[in-house]
Amino acid sequence: MIVRLLLAALAAGLIAGMAMTPAQYVKTIPLIMQAEAYEDTEGHSHDASEAGAAHEHSGDSVLGFGRFWDTVLANLVAGAGFALMLAAVALIMGVELPAGREAIMRGLLLGAGAWFCVQLAPSIGLPPAVPGFPHADIGDRQSWWMITVAASAVGLWCLVMRPEWVVKALGLVIIIAPHVWGAPVPGDLSSEVPAYIASAYAAASLATTLFFWLLLGGLLGYFLSRVPEEAAA
Amino acid sequence: MSAHTQTHSLTDRVGARTVAGLMALVFGSILVFGVGLANSHTLHDAAHDTRHSYGFPCH
Repeated sequence: MIVRLLLAALAAGLIAGMAMTPAQYVKTIPLIMQAEAYEDTEGHSHDASEAGAAHEHSGDSVLGFGRFWDTVLANLVAGAGFALMLAAVALIMGVELPAGREAIMRGLLLGAGAWFCVQLAPSIGLPPAVPGFPHADIGDRQSWWMITVAASAVGLWCLVMRPEWVVKALGLVIIIAPHVWGAPVPGDLSSEVPAYIASAYAAASLATTLFFWLLLGGLLGYFLSRVPEEAAA
Repeated sequence: MSAHTQTHSLTDRVGARTVAGLMALVFGSILVFGVGLANSHTLHDAAHDTRHSYGFPCH
């Protein structure tokens, strides 16, 4: 049964991850490439230690088949990883997934919750950014991002899954806390990348990831509900 | 009673769903960390467009 549950999560993640590549090539990656053109011509936004390290992916690739297949692979791994984590939340919380339409509906709700925690909440402090955009220290941003995702997940659980009003209020406080603390902000906000590309990109990133998380949640709910309770493996 | 308890595996005590959930949490965290957060140039370059598209902090 354990193996079946893990395989169900993997299947949902690989399908959603596969669907993410065309979505990105329609919405986000053209904007990333446009922004890189501005970044490459100016090149002043990177300091010396970062110069050259950030954007050497035009020719080389890990697979040797180029940037497109790197992204396909990375999306599959990301899909599998997010699917396993979402399945972990569902299984550890003990979310019941009755067969049929109800399992898909609950999966969609799980996916929507995950989108809030992983995409929307961190984007309030760290908007999804194209290359060449002003940025604070990468370590600070990653710490704030991880703390915000974790706090949003714990807070959302308190808010939605617990009946006590005190716990619900505490959940709201936990969700808001990282934003009161404040995300790391770059010292210099000027950028050569046009504002239009940046704002279109932030919306495109939130839209494509909403598509991803809803697809993942629906598939995950359906696949997990199909694993029989008494399965041997 | 104690002998009986010892023969029980972790799965029997906390339930197969919880064990699967904990395993999924470990594997999933490793994959997401590798794609989104690991500070390796090779991983960064391969996952560059994915990192940006998911809004992971990048660069």
